[in-house]
Amino acid sequence: MVDNILEVRNLKKHFKSKNGTLHAVDDVSFSIKRGQTLGLVGESGCGKSTIGRLILGLHQATSGEILFNGQDICKMNKAQIHNLRKELQIIFQDPFASLNPRMTIGEIIGEPLLIYKKVKRRAELDSEVRRLMDVVGLSKRFINSYPHELDGGRRQRVGIARALSLNPQFIVCDEPVSSLDVSIQAQVLNLLKDLQAEYGLTYLFITHDLSVVKYFSDKIAVMYLGQLVEGAESDELFKKTIHPYTQALLSAIPVPNIHQKMKRVKLIGEITSPINPEPGCRFAKRCLYAQEKCVGQDLELKDFGNSHFCSCTRADELLNVTL
Amino acid sequence: MTDRKLLEIRNLNVEYRTDDEIVYAVNSLDLSLNSGESLGLVGETGAGKSTTALSILQLVADPPGKTTSGEILFEGEDLLKAKKDFLRHIRGNKISMIFQDPMTSLNPVYSVGDQIAEVIYLHEKCSKSEAQQKAAEMLETVGIPKERYDEYPHQFSGGMKQRVVIAMSIACSPQLILADEPTTALDVTIQAQVLELMNDLKVKFNTSLLLITHDLGVVAQVCDRVAIMYAGEIVEIGTVEEVFENPKHPYTVGLFRSIPQLDEKVDRLKPIKGQMPDPTNLPSGCKFHPRCPHAIEACTKIQPAMTNVKGTHIVKCFIHEGKFESTELMEEVK
Repeated sequence: MVDNILEVRNLKKHFKSKNGTLHAVDDVSFSIKRGQTLGLVGESGCGKSTIGRLILGLHQATSGEILFNGQDICKMNKAQIHNLRKELQIIFQDPFASLNPRMTIGEIIGEPLLIYKKVKRRAELDSEVRRLMDVVGLSKRFINSYPHELDGGRRQRVGIARALSLNPQFIVCDEPVSSLDVSIQAQVLNLLKDLQAEYGLTYLFITHDLSVVKYFSDKIAVMYLGQLVEGAESDELFKKTIHPYTQALLSAIPVPNIHQKMKRVKLIGEITSPINPEPGCRFAKRCLYAQEKCVGQDLELKDFGNSHFCSCTRADELLNVTL
Repeated sequence: MTDRKLLEIRNLNVEYRTDDEIVYAVNSLDLSLNSGESLGLVGETGAGKSTTALSILQLVADPPGKTTSGEILFEGEDLLKAKKDFLRHIRGNKISMIFQDPMTSLNPVYSVGDQIAEVIYLHEKCSKSEAQQKAAEMLETVGIPKERYDEYPHQFSGGMKQRVVIAMSIACSPQLILADEPTTALDVTIQAQVLELMNDLKVKFNTSLLLITHDLGVVAQVCDRVAIMYAGEIVEIGTVEEVFENPKHPYTVGLFRSIPQLDEKVDRLKPIKGQMPDPTNLPSGCKFHPRCPHAIEACTKIQPAMTNVKGTHIVKCFIHEGKFESTELMEEVK
């Protein structure tokens, strides 16, 4: 188990709301190998960002374990979590909201170094900030600029430089490219890939964009309403899609190819509420293949070989149909 | 599809003037749209796509926006010279608009049904109750049960709200719909539903569609023709077959390479280097030359002309004007 840098076991996070309990994350388990990327995919409101925040200790889990290098993050006190941040960092979705508008780029990138007393002299701080700007491809003339002077792509590079400043082992990337234009998106994705190769980083890559995740991840986990419904190696998942939700998700992507018109797996209705969900498959109400056995009792992920997991009760039948 | 031009934009220039600088948002843009046709307008943030759409309806805020020259002919009538009354008659009636963000384009204090009825009541000579009845029918058309007529926007999900906006835009059977990133704020499965709905409605009512998007995938699924915009100019235009199968402009080629493909595994994306130019200080010559891998000296000085390469496929690049030989690019593009 040495090579699993992160292991999440039966993680639950429930929020109290006035209409009942919101099950944001319900009994989720997965692990990530050192130096690899796990893509976490799902629609808005399925709990992917909550998982990212739980891993960083920004939320307190309702139950379950998050083992980072064998230590349980959920049981840590504030001081321990403070220490942990040196190893665990996050890149946020919105590069417009995640940078303090009253700090210069140099101050933003250097702040973690000051907080963790990684530098002793001002000159040392300065040279380290310049080095980091160089690593992420930011021109040094921006060191005294403020965030509003930069465009989205450059701001996201500032966010990446800040996350890298403490030389972490693990970075949670929460939709790092969704607010960027395609040509800039490709630049940032390439940068993240290069950094991973250079520093041996491990990523949890949270996104709703399946084509990005396929390009970027070693393994992919698909979430629906707080639960994992399918997980596999990236290629395997696209070749042998089992869960009806994953199929629907894949078929809904508009492909930039005129000969490949959408053959959409139809979904009935829209994502249902995660407040007080009934036991059973949460996707059943929208699923074409739903039967009586799908509701009533909670489902478990079953192994279909090649470390391909799926929670669908009719997976065996569906596999035979689709193959 | 007839060949009659429904909309023709000629040499449109729009700029935003502030105290110390001028933003050149749209620069000598030519565009035409036939009846029943759908045209995708693709480009990155700041390319001038939305400004183009807004200027068709004369909705660019003035100040700071200013249309400095050009003609926008809708059924032969120049909208830039039209009186306010005439524009009011056109807006929401003959040309309607779908905005990007359904969360902010609906009025939170009116029920969704009444918001749709308002458009009908204003444009068609009918009583309020007739308008309400028609609004209920429109809700059904976009797949919302009419029992929800009296509900308010906050009771709807994002996809449902966008359907309400679509119902509103088609309520008066317009000839032209301007859709400004209609599905960008939606999840993929909901996006697919909305695109399907728009496709169905297009066929049913024979409406023309100007679809603004940055997603080439959406264009491939919905549009007949596509125009690629860069820094306020159209750099390439043609049918989707022409542009998707044989992209000619280096910017278009770069855009296609920047998208991770689902059907093939690539180790590295090949993004376009550099950033979008500053619209207050656009480069001379071809606006794309600082980022173009094939730029030659002439590109930095002279603006290339729109050149017809094949059929209706038009490109604004010297390489295709035949004046310069760049065998390297020709091979790359193939």
